[in-house]
Amino acid sequence: MGSRKLAFIGREAGGRHLPELPFGRTAAARRGLTMLSPALVLGASLAYLLLLFVVAWWADARSQQGRSVIGNAWVYALSMAVYCTAWTYFGSVGRAASGGVWFLPIYLGPTLAMVLAWTVLRKMIRIAHTYRITSIADFMASRYGKSPLLAGLVTLITVVGIVPYIALQLKAVSSGYALLTTPLGAPSTGRGSWWLDGTLYVALALAGFTMIFGTRHLDSTERHEGMVAAIAFESVVKLVAFVAVGVFVTWGLFGGPGDLFARAMAVPELKALLSPAQQGTRFAYAQWFALTMLSMLSVIFLPRQFQVMVIENVDEQHLKRAAWVFPAYLLAINVFVLPIALGGLLYFGAGAANADTFVLSLPLAAGHNGLALVAFVGGLSAATGMIIVEAIAVSTMVCNDLVMPMLLRLRRFSQRGDVTGLLLAIRRAAIVGVLLLGYLYFHLAGEAYALVSIGLISFAAVAQFAPAMLGGMYWKGGARAGALAGLLAGFALWVYTLMLPSIAKSGWWQTDFVARGPFGIELLRPEQLLGLTSLDYLTHSLFWSLLANVGLYVMVSLLRTPKARETSQALLFVDVFDRTQASRPVFWRGRAKVGDLLALTGRFLGEARAAKLFDDYARARGAPDASRIEPDARLVQFVETELAGAIGSASARVMVASVVEEDKLDMDDVLRILDEASQLRAYSKALENATAELRAANQRLESLDRLKDDFMSSVTHELRTPLTSIRALAELMVDDPDMPAGQRQQFLGIVVGETERLTRLVNQVLDMAKIESGHAEWHNSEVDLVALLKQAGETVHELLRERGAELVMQLPARVPMLRADPDRLMQVLMNLLSNAAKFVPAQGGRVELRLYAGAEGATVEVQDNGDGVPAAQHALIFEKFRQGGDAWNRPQGTGLGLPICRQIVEHFGGRMELRPDTGQGACFVFTLPWNSRPEPAPPGASMAADGDRA
Amino acid sequence: MRSGLLRQRLLGLFALGLLLFNFPLMAVWDRDVLLFGLPLFPSALFFAWALLIAALAWLLERAPD
Repeated sequence: MGSRKLAFIGREAGGRHLPELPFGRTAAARRGLTMLSPALVLGASLAYLLLLFVVAWWADARSQQGRSVIGNAWVYALSMAVYCTAWTYFGSVGRAASGGVWFLPIYLGPTLAMVLAWTVLRKMIRIAHTYRITSIADFMASRYGKSPLLAGLVTLITVVGIVPYIALQLKAVSSGYALLTTPLGAPSTGRGSWWLDGTLYVALALAGFTMIFGTRHLDSTERHEGMVAAIAFESVVKLVAFVAVGVFVTWGLFGGPGDLFARAMAVPELKALLSPAQQGTRFAYAQWFALTMLSMLSVIFLPRQFQVMVIENVDEQHLKRAAWVFPAYLLAINVFVLPIALGGLLYFGAGAANADTFVLSLPLAAGHNGLALVAFVGGLSAATGMIIVEAIAVSTMVCNDLVMPMLLRLRRFSQRGDVTGLLLAIRRAAIVGVLLLGYLYFHLAGEAYALVSIGLISFAAVAQFAPAMLGGMYWKGGARAGALAGLLAGFALWVYTLMLPSIAKSGWWQTDFVARGPFGIELLRPEQLLGLTSLDYLTHSLFWSLLANVGLYVMVSLLRTPKARETSQALLFVDVFDRTQASRPVFWRGRAKVGDLLALTGRFLGEARAAKLFDDYARARGAPDASRIEPDARLVQFVETELAGAIGSASARVMVASVVEEDKLDMDDVLRILDEASQLRAYSKALENATAELRAANQRLESLDRLKDDFMSSVTHELRTPLTSIRALAELMVDDPDMPAGQRQQFLGIVVGETERLTRLVNQVLDMAKIESGHAEWHNSEVDLVALLKQAGETVHELLRERGAELVMQLPARVPMLRADPDRLMQVLMNLLSNAAKFVPAQGGRVELRLYAGAEGATVEVQDNGDGVPAAQHALIFEKFRQGGDAWNRPQGTGLGLPICRQIVEHFGGRMELRPDTGQGACFVFTLPWNSRPEPAPPGASMAADGDRA
Repeated sequence: MRSGLLRQRLLGLFALGLLLFNFPLMAVWDRDVLLFGLPLFPSALFFAWALLIAALAWLLERAPD
């Protein structure tokens, strides 16, 4: 290996003046055996196609079991990579060999497009899925008033623009096959009879595959799981194969990228490829920009890209990952383009071999036949992937937008019953037709052009869709006439400035009109129109065609008053994100019969499918069965949308109009319907808000109800305890009439005590209820707090003395008068003080009562030197029936004292809390503002305030 | 609001890409220099490309559903 490498590099260094040697002979001289047997190559190709079948079959089977394999973002991204065709696989290397970095704009453009995918592509997907749009022609037709004319025109442009591209794929496979199987050095035998031409059979095999996985059944969403899985698989194959060749060239033939580039830089021609500025010629930035823009548009508007990205999309969210994985794939498949191109140029000598086939010829010349075969299979997968998807997309268009409109005019057709079989037959015929057209083109013009130019011509054709498509998505003013005029002008200029010259240059049309202009008129030379000479032919064509296209689209749209249907469709497309299914306006007025619509649906989708659709619709609308559906505008729209999925929106419109009696809508009707829909939307929004408010209110009620229940159970529990002991003691006394008088007296004492406790409890519950409901009576007057506190101190003095505790009062001489109910305040003070008395220690108890006069109000503190309240219970003690202490060690009391105190203080606009930071004992603090609430609040307001606290 | 922000960020990224891949920023890299044995001009283009993809991935992957 090493010695051979050295040998040919030695030849390179000394013998670069030998490029005129045919590549075959130099290579043959280097290696003995440099061909593969045709049987091996054919066998491998066949095996690969079979594998593709298996993958597609498996995916279809899985999807029928409901375990779809294509429902994830990675498969979605890989299916997008159908963008990389044989043109990428072989042509990029060819382009790099002649122009250095010039293969890149074709992939930088899509990367830029993908940056905007989340915005633009997502809208396209939403529109297509909402209105059951199945092709790019249908998209345009539907947007511009369901115009069959526009759909037909778009289809025609697509077919004319895409056939050369399909031919290009066939050419790549065919020349790859020839390269592998022709003995190197032997003279090319030339092409044999057509029935011996393998390319024809490749085309037919692909037609078969496409028919099986593209048109197995008629589906109103036009999704093809098996096909998508196969395409994703092909994307993996071509990437792996290309990278394998790249790695082989870089590390197998050379000593790594450093070595490869160092050798390339040593050759002046190759050095010029890598740093164009050094070449002395100006880098054509205008063309670079044009190519970037062109590929940016193509990656969205090529029929196969639209098919996999928009139609086959399963979930909009997949776009998030696919939008960066797809560009990353493009980057990965391009990393080795330059190394392979430079490697080929160094290995064979510049101009010695066709650079388009370096991917095959390099491994072959180095004697790695296996790798060459893998490389060929990679190229085959790139070509077949493109052909399959393109054929499905184009056949849908041809069927729905060219053949159907014509069929609908025939009387015999309208008398036919179920036409689903006919529809499938038309699609299959269209697939075969498109592939045979491609084969024919390949036969007639295939030899004339390098791969890259053919691809770019197709790109330029589909770029003509961009103004009307993007305009239609974002500009409500875009009109049918404008779209038609723009498309026609753009297409005409594309034919004149790009297509005709390419035919002329291919040599089978002897003419000098490219060089001298038609009839010798210099100004009309197709590649220098109006004397514009400073642009290359592609940029030139793109400039004129898009200028005319955009110009006419905008101008005609502005000049014409739009029709009602165009306006209604424009609204539905542009505002697709603004409306939900239910609030979307239905632009239809008239009368229909359910039976007619059902029969119509059955004709195009099959009886069973139609019956199921109607049953589902009935269920969704709350009707008992299909016959009881109300035949309103929404049903008509539903049927039309379902039909659109099968036969295109323009044809669906015609068919629906034929079975219903409809009123013609004018502009005012459209605006009125829109207005109604907007009102409906406003109503539904208001309804939603009201529902939310109700739900919140209900939740609050429920929680209040729960609180009430808790309260009730606490009260009954508190009542039962004293009642039980009263009853027990009373029974004892009844049962034992001879009870000693002393004991009887003791029991009666307990009964009296318990009764008092009961009375207190009932009073407090009533008190609490009164305060909470706002029905309590407040007798407000000017209160002297100092006097009040002194009075309270005197009242509890005896109680404290019994417990052996002392009361310490710290009162200022005087404080301002406060407006409040003195009895209620006294109630608060007594409660706090007696509470404190309960918790002081038996020895050395001490209760402090303090009053401070602040700027805002008066603060009263009651502190004891007991054990204090555990931190965990700070929040609880102000709740009803939550006393300090655990269940076994509850002090005497009802558990309502503190809650009532707090209610009273809060009634006067104050706050009550347990001071958290005292070193020892509990310290209750309440503040009362000087200007407390002027007068008792009305009951309602008080209740609301209580509710808020709850 | 947040989805609106994502859209603006993507638009900004698009503008950045357009600038990086075109004249005159591209001309800055068009030099006869080797960087780690690789020619600067293509390497810079690939590097800018990778950077753009990384930024796009970062923006989209952290966007909420």
